[in-house]
Amino acid sequence: MDSAKVGIFLSESGTELSKILDLDAITSYAKNIPGVVLVERESEFWRGKGLQTISEAVKNRKVNRVVVADTLPKLSEVKIVQAAQDAGLNPYLVEFLDLKHHCAWPHRETPSEATEKAKAMLLAATERAKLLEPLEKLEFPALKSVLVIGGGIAGIQTAIDLADLGFEVNLVEKEPFLGGLAARAGRFFPTDDCAICVQSPASDVKTITHTSRKCIYRSGFTEIPNLNVLTNSEVVSVDGVPGKYSVTIEKRPRYVNESKCVSCDLCTAVCPVEVPDDYNAKLDTRKAIYMNTPNVHPPVYVIDESACKFHDCARCVEVCPTDAIELDQKSEKTTLNVGSIIVATGFQEYDSSVIKEYHYDDYPDVITNLELARMIDGFGPTTGVIIRPSNHKPAKKVVMIQCVGSRDKRWNEYCSGICCMISLKHATLIKQAYPETDVTICYIDMRTTGREHEYYYERAREMGIKFVKGRPTEVTRDPETDKLIVDVEDALLKRFLELDADLVVLAPAMVPAEGTKELAEMLGLELDEDGFFKEYNAKLRPTETKLRGIYLCGGATFPKDAPTTSLHAHSAAMKATKFLKTGKIIKDQRTAVIDEEYCGDCEFCPVTCPYGAISLEPTTEDHFVARVSELLCEGCGICVGTCPLNAIELRHSRPNQMLAQMKGLMAVNGTSKPLVLAMCCSECGHTAVDSSGMAMMQYPANVRVMKVPCTGILQVHQFLDAFKAGAQGVMVVGCKSDGCHYEVGSQKAEKKVELTRTLLKEYGIEPERLEMFNMVYIEGDKFVEAAQLMTQRVEELGPLRIPREG
Amino acid sequence: MEPREKRRARSPGFSDAITSRLGGETITLCYQCGTCASSCPVARITERFNPREVIRLSLLGEKDEVLSADAIWLCCSCYNCQERCPQKVEIADVIYALRNIAFREGHIPDIYSEFASAILNNGRIATVSKFVEKKRPALGLPPLQPTGLDDVRKILSATGYEKLRQEEEDA
Amino acid sequence: MSSYAIFLGCTIPARQQSYELSARKSLDKLGIKLIDLANMTCCCPPPIQSIDLETSLAVAAYNICLAEDADLDVITLCTGCFESLAMTNAMLREKDQLKARVNKILSNVGREYKGSKEVKHYLQVLMDDVGVDHLKRSISKPLRNLKVAAFSGCHLLRPSALLKVDDPERPRIFDNLIEALGAKSIEYRNKLKCCGGLLRGYSDDLALNIAREKLANTTKAGADCISTLCPFCFVALDLGQLQIRSKLQEEFNMPIIHYTELLSLALGIPPKELALETHKIKLDKIVDKIS
Repeated sequence: MDSAKVGIFLSESGTELSKILDLDAITSYAKNIPGVVLVERESEFWRGKGLQTISEAVKNRKVNRVVVADTLPKLSEVKIVQAAQDAGLNPYLVEFLDLKHHCAWPHRETPSEATEKAKAMLLAATERAKLLEPLEKLEFPALKSVLVIGGGIAGIQTAIDLADLGFEVNLVEKEPFLGGLAARAGRFFPTDDCAICVQSPASDVKTITHTSRKCIYRSGFTEIPNLNVLTNSEVVSVDGVPGKYSVTIEKRPRYVNESKCVSCDLCTAVCPVEVPDDYNAKLDTRKAIYMNTPNVHPPVYVIDESACKFHDCARCVEVCPTDAIELDQKSEKTTLNVGSIIVATGFQEYDSSVIKEYHYDDYPDVITNLELARMIDGFGPTTGVIIRPSNHKPAKKVVMIQCVGSRDKRWNEYCSGICCMISLKHATLIKQAYPETDVTICYIDMRTTGREHEYYYERAREMGIKFVKGRPTEVTRDPETDKLIVDVEDALLKRFLELDADLVVLAPAMVPAEGTKELAEMLGLELDEDGFFKEYNAKLRPTETKLRGIYLCGGATFPKDAPTTSLHAHSAAMKATKFLKTGKIIKDQRTAVIDEEYCGDCEFCPVTCPYGAISLEPTTEDHFVARVSELLCEGCGICVGTCPLNAIELRHSRPNQMLAQMKGLMAVNGTSKPLVLAMCCSECGHTAVDSSGMAMMQYPANVRVMKVPCTGILQVHQFLDAFKAGAQGVMVVGCKSDGCHYEVGSQKAEKKVELTRTLLKEYGIEPERLEMFNMVYIEGDKFVEAAQLMTQRVEELGPLRIPREG
Repeated sequence: MEPREKRRARSPGFSDAITSRLGGETITLCYQCGTCASSCPVARITERFNPREVIRLSLLGEKDEVLSADAIWLCCSCYNCQERCPQKVEIADVIYALRNIAFREGHIPDIYSEFASAILNNGRIATVSKFVEKKRPALGLPPLQPTGLDDVRKILSATGYEKLRQEEEDA
Repeated sequence: MSSYAIFLGCTIPARQQSYELSARKSLDKLGIKLIDLANMTCCCPPPIQSIDLETSLAVAAYNICLAEDADLDVITLCTGCFESLAMTNAMLREKDQLKARVNKILSNVGREYKGSKEVKHYLQVLMDDVGVDHLKRSISKPLRNLKVAAFSGCHLLRPSALLKVDDPERPRIFDNLIEALGAKSIEYRNKLKCCGGLLRGYSDDLALNIAREKLANTTKAGADCISTLCPFCFVALDLGQLQIRSKLQEEFNMPIIHYTELLSLALGIPPKELALETHKIKLDKIVDKIS
């Protein structure tokens, strides 16, 4: 590498900056820094003449390192780096600092101190720039295919989007038929239209019957050439990396050939086996060979292998006109190679049996909303008649109980959000069809917050549905009348009611679908405290997980209604395609690199890495080293801060680069106060400093700010280095501990700060000289407070006495 | 319409007084669902006591109303409410906490006053009379062991119970 | 032979000697050794907890200390005593700060609560130490399908988070132990509801009203008798019937009998050795039915 020739580009920002900073003094100081060959001044450098100046300086080989002191860092950085790159400079050899928001404005009341600080900032940036190394962008292959796990409306909608966008999609559903909860629900609120309706695929324009919406059974979406639907199939194992996953799917035998079955129904007529129909809440029976409802997809029968007598019977085989029944089908395993995975496994009703006082387990006339939905569904077991399961007579008095196992510290603490509307939907549908039915809903709070939901609630009241504000204590049975009795206090009236009921309908909590834990483990995904798949950040990065390449949508992250599920599904599809669209995953090379000679068989870093980017590889019989996957590494540096042997470095934030920066910042004081170094994380901490400057909040100029990717990168010896470099106080400024953008970084930093304080005490240095602060971007005032606090503190403590070594 | 003074008379600190008392820590979790009321055998047969209402009044700060009424003394400690509460509010224990506060403020039913004395004087609520004790050998029952009265008195002194009882008696 | 420190409480030795008598005789016959320790006092049940909860915990802990020092688990007859002592045991084991506070108070009498011993009700001892099978084999006079309305009362089961004796919504222990005697434990409305016993003395009207409902429900279900575990339940339903007769003009004639009394009869202990004449509602019907 040639020796560094640093060009410093000082922006004057119009005329304002020079009113505070003595730019001439700063320029001459800069010219005298060893290694600096050029100092240019313009109003701004990220556009116009300024931008050209940088381009030329690079093109004419005058400089091979660029230090730019400009404002509006994000805008300026992108344009300047691009121009430098176009002119032939490796983009990672450009260093930025903001003299306006980090110096002039926050110290405008002490202009001479600001000028001195500006000199130190330039020195720090230059020293760091000299140590920067050229880095390349890494490319990894990305297969333009996606696996969608779960064939409910979320999975289907996201699959359709992906197929429309030209990606290869594999939709895997563990049940024999698609549709998930929607297929059972019948209708959705607040429109009361079909639950299994999805947006038509774009390719639908080419068909003859073209409609904008299609329910699953007539959608034809399964005929989109690049959409591959596998029902009765489950994900068994997942290997590989983002962009190139290798997923093993087990397709369980249907015993009916999908390409031969014509759904004529002759088989069910001859099947001798009858079992209670679980799908239809055991309200009727079905045969061993069956379809859930006439409108399923795929329109192919399936055999329940736990009930079928197979070759001891085989009557269906004899009668099938197309020889579609294959009793000897076996489980098949296939491997799919996909670029990304979308989890759309949905949710289910909580098992209300545990709430024994409601007798869901032993009174047949106590049912749940989903079971009631089967009764209301015209395709259902009772063809729309509301009956008492105990005697199949019509139910004339229905009492609904909300929040069963929800908002309940004994079972599920959260509110499931959609159950009030579901019960209202059922109540209004019942009243519409059978106006003389008495319907009462017992609730704690009615939650009808979505669009048009309040009108829905109003309609329910107009229809004469009764509402009792009170949570029943128990449901009992009167053995003489055989009626159910719901024991509840009407809290508004302060009156005790014993409501007669033919049918009691529970609105249970909505909980994660069966198999969520196992799938999460297989994929390496985290679950939140309620057991749902954890969305990375619902506001900033919805439908993403912390693993790039794996996305979530629908009820798998939390119970949702249909409109929200739709939004979520489209979001997930977009995220997956953004990731895969060019067929390449481009990664920054600012990743961690491990010196294998020092790596000490300890296993700390693989465990700490929030992204699972580090694996252990055996090198000899009894020795292993840690290796970083550049594809998975997110460049946070938490592993660097964790390694007890300092064997890891993060490119572009190497310890020598950070040390040079520290020393530079401490080289010039210019104030009468002791120097304080603030080590700020690039996500929240440093931006809080930005925001304090932008608002012109004043803090003392002895506070020097240094940016690190994540406070988790900081090592104990670096705090000591800061003191040795001249800091009398050190502040670590990071994200809030439950909001670290790299999951655990600020928590790790907190621990190291504590450890260092103990060490300082041992050295005879006051531990309060080092402290950690947590804040977010808009808390610029908090940064100012912290800066003032630390300054005052070190002033009171007096000069730092570092004990002599040796 | 309630008189103006009553509508204004709120003791905002009452809720804190309850949560800082042993047994009363969970009262603020209540979201007024009414499960406790419908679980209560007493509330069912009289308007004088309703656990949901007692909690509501307490959280609003109606200290005087809660402590001077006989409601809190009508709880029969069956714990059905506490068992069924979806927010795990320790309702029966909250009632004890309210009674404890009431006792300190001088609102005590006579019978509880008697209980309070009994334990201080005898170390027990019900004492075995000599007459009954004499029957034991004939029935084949072993002799009664002595009561640890001295120790109980020392404990009551240490917890401040004795002083409390004394103040109550003087009042 | 398992040994326990028996905690008699106040009410049983003072007013229900028949309960103590039947308990000692039957448990002895089944191999449970009951040891009477000195210095036991009140368990501090709800009436005392109402005055000061912390004091109640301290005195209850004191009683448990006596057993800890004798290296014995505690067995109680009265379910009120059980709840008070077991709840104290559970709370102090769970909450270190509370335990420290109580031990500070107990240091005044030279004791320290350690949480090393269990507090059990005799039903638990019968289930765990004796076992239903051994119990069945020890019965010499099975109760001939006597229809028993089992009423465990509130404090055997609740608060279940602390007591952990049985399923609070579907308890079976008491019913199983009754059926082990050859009797039939019947279902009746509101089986787990309180008898109102603790309201006696403060509001007799309400107390009688609540007791009346229990008597009506058990009568309707065809019970021959109600079996109790708690002396307060006993008084509420036994003496209570006389009061209900005079105040509410309703006659039930429902015998109330403690479980250990039924147990003693089933074990073949002669009725005249059990002081059954102390019951206000005579037990002649039952004794005749099962002999």
